[in-house]
Amino acid sequence: MPGPLLALLVSLAAVALAVLLLRPERGWLWQAVRALRATERVLIEDALKHLFDCEYRGRRASLMSLSGALAVSGDRAAELVEQLAELELVTTDGERYELTAEGRAYALRVVRIHRLWERYLADETGLEPGSWHYEAEHREHTTSPEEAEALSASLGHPRFDPHGDPIPTAEGEIMPPRGRSLTELAEGEVAEIVHVEDEPEAVYAQLVAEGLHPGMRIRVLEVSPRRIRFAAEAEEHVLAPVIAANLSVVRLERDQEPTGPVERLSGLAVGESGRIAAILPSLRGPERRRILDLGLVPGTEVSAELGSAGGDPTGYRVRGAVIALRRQQADQIQIERMP
Amino acid sequence: MSRPSPANCAQCPAHNVANLVKLGVDMANWDFVVALAGNPNTGKSTVFNALTGLRQHTGNWPGKTVTRAEGGFSSGGHRYKLVDLPGTYSLLSASLDEQIARDFLLFGRPDVTVIVVDATRLERNLNLVIQVLEITDRVVVCLNLMDEAERHGLQVDPRRLARDLGVPVVATSARYGEGLDELNRAVGEVARGEVVCKPRRLAALSKRLTGAVDRLASRVEAAYPELPNARWVALRLLDGDERIAGAVRTGELGRLDAPADPLDPEAGPAAETAAAPPPAAAESIFETVGELRWQVGKDFHQKLMEGVYTEAARLADRAVTRSGERPRFDLDATLDRLVTSRRYGFPIMLLLLTAVFWITIAGANVPSSLLATLLIDHGHAGLKSAAAALSLPWWLDGLLIDGIYLATAWVVSVMLPPMAIFFPLFTLLEDFGYLPRVAFNMDRMFQRVGAHGKQALTMTMGWGCNAAAIVSTRIIDSPRERLIAIITNNFALCNGRWPTQILIATIFLGGLAPAYLAGLISALSVVAIAVLGVVLTFLTSWLLSRTVLRGEVSTFHLELPPYRPPRILQTIYTSVIDRTLIVLWRAVVFAVPAGAVIWLLSNVSPGGMSLAERFIGWLDPFGAAIGLTGVILLAYVIAIPANEIVIPTILMLIALVTGAGGAGTGVMFELDSIAATGELLRGGGFTLLVAVNLMLFSLVHNPCSTTIYTIWKETGSVKWTAISALLPVGMGLFLCFVVAQVWRLLAG
Repeated sequence: MPGPLLALLVSLAAVALAVLLLRPERGWLWQAVRALRATERVLIEDALKHLFDCEYRGRRASLMSLSGALAVSGDRAAELVEQLAELELVTTDGERYELTAEGRAYALRVVRIHRLWERYLADETGLEPGSWHYEAEHREHTTSPEEAEALSASLGHPRFDPHGDPIPTAEGEIMPPRGRSLTELAEGEVAEIVHVEDEPEAVYAQLVAEGLHPGMRIRVLEVSPRRIRFAAEAEEHVLAPVIAANLSVVRLERDQEPTGPVERLSGLAVGESGRIAAILPSLRGPERRRILDLGLVPGTEVSAELGSAGGDPTGYRVRGAVIALRRQQADQIQIERMP
Repeated sequence: MSRPSPANCAQCPAHNVANLVKLGVDMANWDFVVALAGNPNTGKSTVFNALTGLRQHTGNWPGKTVTRAEGGFSSGGHRYKLVDLPGTYSLLSASLDEQIARDFLLFGRPDVTVIVVDATRLERNLNLVIQVLEITDRVVVCLNLMDEAERHGLQVDPRRLARDLGVPVVATSARYGEGLDELNRAVGEVARGEVVCKPRRLAALSKRLTGAVDRLASRVEAAYPELPNARWVALRLLDGDERIAGAVRTGELGRLDAPADPLDPEAGPAAETAAAPPPAAAESIFETVGELRWQVGKDFHQKLMEGVYTEAARLADRAVTRSGERPRFDLDATLDRLVTSRRYGFPIMLLLLTAVFWITIAGANVPSSLLATLLIDHGHAGLKSAAAALSLPWWLDGLLIDGIYLATAWVVSVMLPPMAIFFPLFTLLEDFGYLPRVAFNMDRMFQRVGAHGKQALTMTMGWGCNAAAIVSTRIIDSPRERLIAIITNNFALCNGRWPTQILIATIFLGGLAPAYLAGLISALSVVAIAVLGVVLTFLTSWLLSRTVLRGEVSTFHLELPPYRPPRILQTIYTSVIDRTLIVLWRAVVFAVPAGAVIWLLSNVSPGGMSLAERFIGWLDPFGAAIGLTGVILLAYVIAIPANEIVIPTILMLIALVTGAGGAGTGVMFELDSIAATGELLRGGGFTLLVAVNLMLFSLVHNPCSTTIYTIWKETGSVKWTAISALLPVGMGLFLCFVVAQVWRLLAG
């Protein structure tokens, strides 16, 4: 029998290897699967998506932007464009790339499936916002049109993805982009966020962490080349222009004040009361429906009645019953304080 | 005018006491189908039990009835089938419970729907009433918990409510049997059509929504002229409800004859037998839906709920009057502040749980040894001599009596008394309303590992019995958290494993210390194992929620119901029947074959060597590598039905292998003297390392077969059952292996 030390070391090494191999998303096994999945078709679809995205947002696509978006070398990107041209999905004069009608229809199909999946992941699963895009990225290539229609039906034919982007219809129609970049606003202007761009991942993660989401009303406080300062609900946010550019907004009349200083339900101390003003869109899917079913709808009086010994859930009296909600849930319910 | 005499009363058709015949589950040839709907924790199950005479488990918990229950009763010459639907807050969301309840009302078309309503929370309960009234006209509202409302200084006017709702409203206190005759009569009247309901319909929607709904409803009506709830179907279609859309498409909605039972999965989709869809009409419905959905916007569901609750608040306001003065001393609130306070909350919880366990352990000792004497000492010997008198062949006598009978008797005598004490105590705390407070206090810790506070309760329950605890995870209404609670429950040291821990700790660990400390050391080491179980529960929950269960739907809410005086006798009765006997029965079913296998393994000896000895020979090297022995491994394989028989099996196997003493080949036994047991174990190759590893492995190994079966029943999934069974074995083997290597390393 081998010595105990050797046995221990070997087994610990085996465990470490298993973790490296099987860890979700970053494990070697997953990476290998991903590499296998990155077939020609996937690359073509991703390239079409990128070209469509540039066209939709009025930007110019280049070989550089393409190789950046697909994480492939410039040569590979050039090869891809040639292939696309051969398939008559793209026309090019060497510098400009344009989608043909057929190419656009193909791209819209993929975009539709991608956004449907994002909607599904947001509403019907417990995945955190940072994972939706990633998951949808590889589901979009394996979903048949029939499956996409079934998915759309099961979601009640949604019109927007969770980032605020319109979902193309099955006939390939898509709403024109709404709003403009936040960076275009001047000081003192009032606007509503209509879209939060989910790429690149790190930027999106920062916007999510700031609690910014479509539907939020903001007032710009300060614009300088280095930063944009604005108030959203009761809080102030400061973003670098590069990051703020990922938020699309529509201007509102200046007198359409963002509804006063708004507090959150989680801000109530035991014994205090408030009236629900709104339930933020970030409370999604089954959780949102459950909250509404329990009678926590806008206009409802709520009082914090009981703190738990552990400190977190708080018992709220709602329509005669005491319902315990976690801080993270109560954070997403806006209230007006009542005397 | 003469005063009515009691005799006159008895002849009056309203005098129903003798009329009500409780039929239990005998429901052949019913005349009417009655559905029982209501919010969770409104006493629905109590009403069900009172009408049918059945004893469905009730508890002061939201969401007790998860699977359906059916029962029958007969009254006034008619037979009724009563279907208890899952308690739901609403019928508009997509949770499984709501779908079951909704589908039964819509497609099952009950003759009467009784909605049980909590009089103390009228506003919130009316939400469901308003929704049900959109689906069906034939409704009786059972205004339950009137006693509690009175206690809280609320006067609810049933007549006012009846006028406003347009359906009969009966005030009851089902726990005390008050008002049930009236309820019974009202159900009969509506069923026979003597009372025609004119329910009010939802009015508090915005103009734009009302316009859209009406437009669509008229389309639906045109396609299905017989449909009583076109408006509700329109609401669902606008909300994007695929199930309803499907029913419209296939024509299932329009069928009036003998609808398939939507609760019965074997009945298959009713759509297959449905008439062909009315083609053009359905098309025009969906065209209208598509067009209107863009108009009503994406917040339709929220607007709908707002409308329903506005209406509910208005109706409740009219029906409820609050007596001016609130009681100066509010017992409920004071109690709540105390049991959830930062300073006293946890000490009170620990004190109560310790008390429960102390009573269980102390109280179970006597009946356990009585049962053991009766079933094992006398029963076994008696059966043996009876078999000898009948001169049964030795193998038959051995298989039946030494194998099957003895294993079963062992399981019963060890398992029954603690369960019969623990469960009623636990249920009393539940009935009183204390347990939701425990979940409330503990939630923070469980939240951090991605679990639900209610898991604190299912874990505690697991210290009694894992199988019963798995059933109790039904109180967790979020799919991900429930699965976590199920998979990790095995780390709660169940009462079948406590005796093993105590025995081994006393012999091997207590023996290390000087005599006056021995008891303390062995007690502490057992507690340490139980605490390790809790640590592993958290660790595994954390791992599961971040790996395999990542992305599963997770919701949280916890209702803190008011305290209710526990009904002691009823609780004891139902918890013994409901939890103890069912679990015991399952255990016996599994113990029978195990007893046979144990006996056969020791007595079938091809080539002069028993199968057991061969297996032990094969397992020994592996056992040695992980600091256990072949005997222990084999004992855990064949004693899978119940942890209770692990020690007797180990003793029997050691006696078989070493040829030392014992009670005969293949006969399980225990020794009266702890010292003698220790000697036998040491003779079987037990060292301190083996003892420690046995304690660890007893905590971290696969659940017993009863529990595995229960997991399969509850999850309905082979995958989760396999994970629940294999994950702990893998962890246990690994843990023992590491401990053994480190031990050997340190010992040089």
